[in-house]
Amino acid sequence: MKKYTVKDYKSKTKPIWCPGCGNYGILNAIYRALEQLQIPTHKIGIISGIGCAGRLPGYMGTYGFNGLHGRVLPVATGAKMANLDNTIIAVGGDGDGYSIGAGHIGHAARKNIDITYIVSDNGIYGLTKGQASPTTPLGIPTKTTYYGNLGATFNPIRTLIAYKASFVARIFSADIKHSTDIIAKAITHRGFSFVEVLSPCVTFRGKDQYDYFREKSFYIPESYDPSNEVNAFDYANDEDVFELGIIYKKSRPTYDEALEEVRIKAKKDGVPSKLGLLNNFEV
Amino acid sequence: MSRNNIVIGIAGSGGDGIITAGELLVKAASSDGLFVFMLKSYGPQIRGGESSIKLRMSELPITSQGDKLDVLVVLNWKDFLRFKSELLLEDDVVIVSDSDDKFPEEDIPIDKNKMKKWYKIPIAEIAKESSGTKQSKNIVMLGIVSELFNLPKEALKRSIKKKFSKKGQKVVDSNIIALNAGQDHVKNSLTKIDPLEFEYKEHEPRLVMEGNEAIAYGAIYAGLDFFAGYPITPSSEIMQWIGRFLPKYGGTIMQMEDELASINAIIGASFVGKKSMTATSGPGISLMNEGIGLASMTELPVVIVNVQRGGPSTGLPTKTEQADLMQAIWGSHGDSPRVVIAPVDVEDCFDSTVLAFYIAEKYQMPVILLSDGFIGHRKESINPAHLKDKKYGFKKINSRKTPTKEELKDYKRFKITKDGISPISYPGIEGGEHQTAGIEHDEYGYPSSDVDVHKKMTIKRYAKYKAIKKEFSFERFYGPDDAEIGVMAWGSTKGAVKEAVKKANEKGIKVQAIIPQIIYPFLMKPFKKFLENKKKVIIVEMSYSGQFTRYLRGFINFRKYGVTTFPYLITGGAPFTVEEILNKITEVTEEK
Repeated sequence: MKKYTVKDYKSKTKPIWCPGCGNYGILNAIYRALEQLQIPTHKIGIISGIGCAGRLPGYMGTYGFNGLHGRVLPVATGAKMANLDNTIIAVGGDGDGYSIGAGHIGHAARKNIDITYIVSDNGIYGLTKGQASPTTPLGIPTKTTYYGNLGATFNPIRTLIAYKASFVARIFSADIKHSTDIIAKAITHRGFSFVEVLSPCVTFRGKDQYDYFREKSFYIPESYDPSNEVNAFDYANDEDVFELGIIYKKSRPTYDEALEEVRIKAKKDGVPSKLGLLNNFEV
Repeated sequence: MSRNNIVIGIAGSGGDGIITAGELLVKAASSDGLFVFMLKSYGPQIRGGESSIKLRMSELPITSQGDKLDVLVVLNWKDFLRFKSELLLEDDVVIVSDSDDKFPEEDIPIDKNKMKKWYKIPIAEIAKESSGTKQSKNIVMLGIVSELFNLPKEALKRSIKKKFSKKGQKVVDSNIIALNAGQDHVKNSLTKIDPLEFEYKEHEPRLVMEGNEAIAYGAIYAGLDFFAGYPITPSSEIMQWIGRFLPKYGGTIMQMEDELASINAIIGASFVGKKSMTATSGPGISLMNEGIGLASMTELPVVIVNVQRGGPSTGLPTKTEQADLMQAIWGSHGDSPRVVIAPVDVEDCFDSTVLAFYIAEKYQMPVILLSDGFIGHRKESINPAHLKDKKYGFKKINSRKTPTKEELKDYKRFKITKDGISPISYPGIEGGEHQTAGIEHDEYGYPSSDVDVHKKMTIKRYAKYKAIKKEFSFERFYGPDDAEIGVMAWGSTKGAVKEAVKKANEKGIKVQAIIPQIIYPFLMKPFKKFLENKKKVIIVEMSYSGQFTRYLRGFINFRKYGVTTFPYLITGGAPFTVEEILNKITEVTEEK
């Protein structure tokens, strides 16, 4: 059996993110998680939309797909459901996922599609150079909110629990060891796993975003029971701090399992040859 | 006056069971081996409202739904009025109506002289008396017309038994009683005052299919693995049929949250090597256009069905039009090659779908199947042997070309080749790892914003057209080559055009029609041949803005061929009649 190392998961292309970008940490954590799980490179599909984080598939030695802005989850859903042999990981930023693509999150989550969705959340549009996103804090000026950002800040954790995601976690890109562990658990989880990443944008949110995340975050204690939805909402509702770790986790049937039951049901009253399907048109 | 070709219209309110009655009659006629066409028309209401059918049956082959009604059956005059432009009457039309309907006679816009052959029958009353419920008046009505005009009577009984057998013997019995009551009423209490008599010999039973069903069946026949879609009239039946049968073969069907998700999901499924498809109508295609560009750029095979409906926005969702042609050809952004195919009738919906998969998989690009509500919802009888004996020369090349071991040594997913086709690998194939991206990329798939790379790769993607033009030359020609009058049409207008051309030639007007199957890329060769002897060409389309006309003019220099064009553009949501086209042919012929 071939032993896969981090090197196998890397492509020949060097990342072109800004120095200090949180995405480096995420990329490294993904490499390490895959190495830990020993998933063959040809059985992995990394799917992305548009944004700084959307470039990530290009840095992978696996199969990658870089599609349209906001459509990472439908592509990942199709890719997973069409061939269950593959491990499908969707990646993107807060603009891609929580703004233009927000309509898809609920459905991938409620259907419990067996994919992992990693959101690199820096609270700003980086690739288009500094416009407001749904997680940009209230009141701060950006290029498109000259006089300060309006509208309440989107709460991804609370939303995902409400959408019945079966695995909801948060990590901080600066802690690669913890991130590796959580991403590996997310990939192993059967069902829709959501990982929100505190990922600083040093260029448009300033270097102190690292300090801010460090100050405001804490690790969830081991005694915590993530299967308790009420506790999970308690964590999610406290918007003053960022809890790191698995916030909510509950096993429930995946969409592919449900669909397999449909296939069994459909086959029960016989599987005609394809020409035999014509009998349905007999009068 | 006995005849083997009859056009019947039935109108009533939504709860009258008009469509059920029409379907029963179609099945009966088809089981006696007749050629049948049935169009349904209804308002946008879910329950109630008005509904009508137009049905033509014939012992000899027919290609259109027929123009004017020989027989009009009205259960409710108020509802009929909404269809008065869709249900045109022959001068010697025979009318059967429910005498219980108290609609004032003076408000019925039909020439009083024609009303001489008008049977006013207490249909609802007969229903109530015989079967105990007025609800069976549609079946009583079938009994009446089948007896009056000698329509397939025994076969009707069989159809009723088959249709209601699931609901139990009681329901079957009460419907048979209703049918008999209708027939008995004609035999015992009516004097036939019209000479109309349908006469035919029984033939081998035929199948009954709608265009949407034929597309769904064609897709499964072609090896569909993955379907994702979002409901929209008039395409939903495709997804419903696939949802029922695809799981039997291990396939995957998903109802997505919207059309954006649908197109991207099938792109994702195609990315992992599976034959994928979605189906929608015009508004859905508008949402999918960005995705079509992505499929074009990533060179992934996908089949996208557009069952066109009328008008922009919500428009006429239950009616038909051919006004999405430009959107199909030029929709999306940037230079994004795709193939556009248009089926012309129900059987061709099957053929075109198989062809769409073949082209998509072989040429690695999106293929748009441009059907419309007219054929999508049209019931047609089909010779089962035709569908069983299909011989597609391309059956073998029905899956995409994957890289060889040699090619994997230095694998270029987007390798520049003469025909633009590069070996495609997908997750699961060891050594074929690469990135598939919507961003411009080099042959390996690495992102590049180099202008030379963009130029080279655009040319590569368009090289496929050359190969497609070389591979396909099939066009439909009707009428003599040496005709000086020509008709150009596409898609579902074929039926009326073909019949009009035949009639014109019988009348001594030499005319030839051409109907392409592959609309885009434009295949010049057959058009060149067609234009050789033509002086005047009528371009027939259900598009007020003349999209097909503009499209043809973009490729053909008609003046060079000494040809004058006569665009015949209609809107309104109702398909062309044979007479309309025949009149146009006569008018253009006579024009100096």
